[in-house]
Amino acid sequence: MAYSEKVVDHYNNPRNVGSLPKEDPNVGTGLVGAPECGDVMKLQMRINPETQVIEEAKFKTFGCGSAIASSSLATEWVKGKTVEEALAIKNTDIVRELSLPPVKIHCSVLAEDAIKAAIGNWKKKHGVEVPEHEKASH
Amino acid sequence: MSTQLPITNPPLVCWNCHERTIGTHFCPGCGKLLQLPQGSDYFAMFELPRKLWIEMDALEQKFLQLSWKLHPDNFVSATEQEREISLKRSSELNDAYRTLRDPIARVEYLLAIEGMRKNGENKQQAPPELLEEVFELNESLDELREAKAEGSDTASLRQRLEAAEKSFGEKLNEVDGALQSKAQEWDDAIDAGANVADRGKIMAQLNELLNRRSYIRNLVVNVQKELL
Repeated sequence: MAYSEKVVDHYNNPRNVGSLPKEDPNVGTGLVGAPECGDVMKLQMRINPETQVIEEAKFKTFGCGSAIASSSLATEWVKGKTVEEALAIKNTDIVRELSLPPVKIHCSVLAEDAIKAAIGNWKKKHGVEVPEHEKASH
Repeated sequence: MSTQLPITNPPLVCWNCHERTIGTHFCPGCGKLLQLPQGSDYFAMFELPRKLWIEMDALEQKFLQLSWKLHPDNFVSATEQEREISLKRSSELNDAYRTLRDPIARVEYLLAIEGMRKNGENKQQAPPELLEEVFELNESLDELREAKAEGSDTASLRQRLEAAEKSFGEKLNEVDGALQSKAQEWDDAIDAGANVADRGKIMAQLNELLNRRSYIRNLVVNVQKELL
């Protein structure tokens, strides 16, 4: 099966690969996995506690091209957004942007879960209750 | 409480003689090849209970026997409908055999038909410890990969990769061992007529082991790629 051009682009030139200090109180870390294919994805963001704006995002994904592209795109999209805006990103947006075929939809789900998990982790560090619907649920 | 799960196919109406039939493959009334009844499954196709231990020789015998009976060659001069059924049944039979023959695919299939594992989605997240562990193992493999790309001392690198392969392989064996004993537990529970809650518990554990296995298998495959 052929990957779409955008997937190939993100795969060959992944944006924002790397990591942020996990212990930093302003850094939220989300580590999620897709058991069906054995992919693991780590997404981290540095969030300004005053403005709630995501100032930096990094990812590291061990998995297929679509999983890498989905997480790469997710880091691009969340940067500069507020926490609320980032939480509004849906996996279907990623599917559309990357033209993912049905068998790769779970990769986009993984990326959405990673965003939620990272923000959830940051909120926890700041003593904010994470509402049920914002938890990584897939 | 029932002591045994049903192993026969659900009854259906024969497409040819319109009699209700409980035949698995051929209508006992008119002898025509039957469509596979809805709600039937691979275990029922082989007239096996939904248990995880399967005698391989018997499975193969049954497969050969059935493929011979269902084979499209037997229906060249039959009606188009019969030819179609034969083709469909033969391909289903091949899928069934391929699935039941493989102990891992067999567990995956059992969990799928029992509603524990849905295709393409998985409701529960893997435990965080497992993800941490898998992530770290992947990172260590990544470091070796980078070192390889930089052309560092290949002999010592190869040693480290081989050590990683050995350790991942051991983990895979551990998981396979755990899966095997959990499968035994499932069969015992079926024999003992365990209730839905108890069966559900075992299935959840089987599912967790399968998940762990797919992460570790990826690691094994990836490290082997580096060693080629």
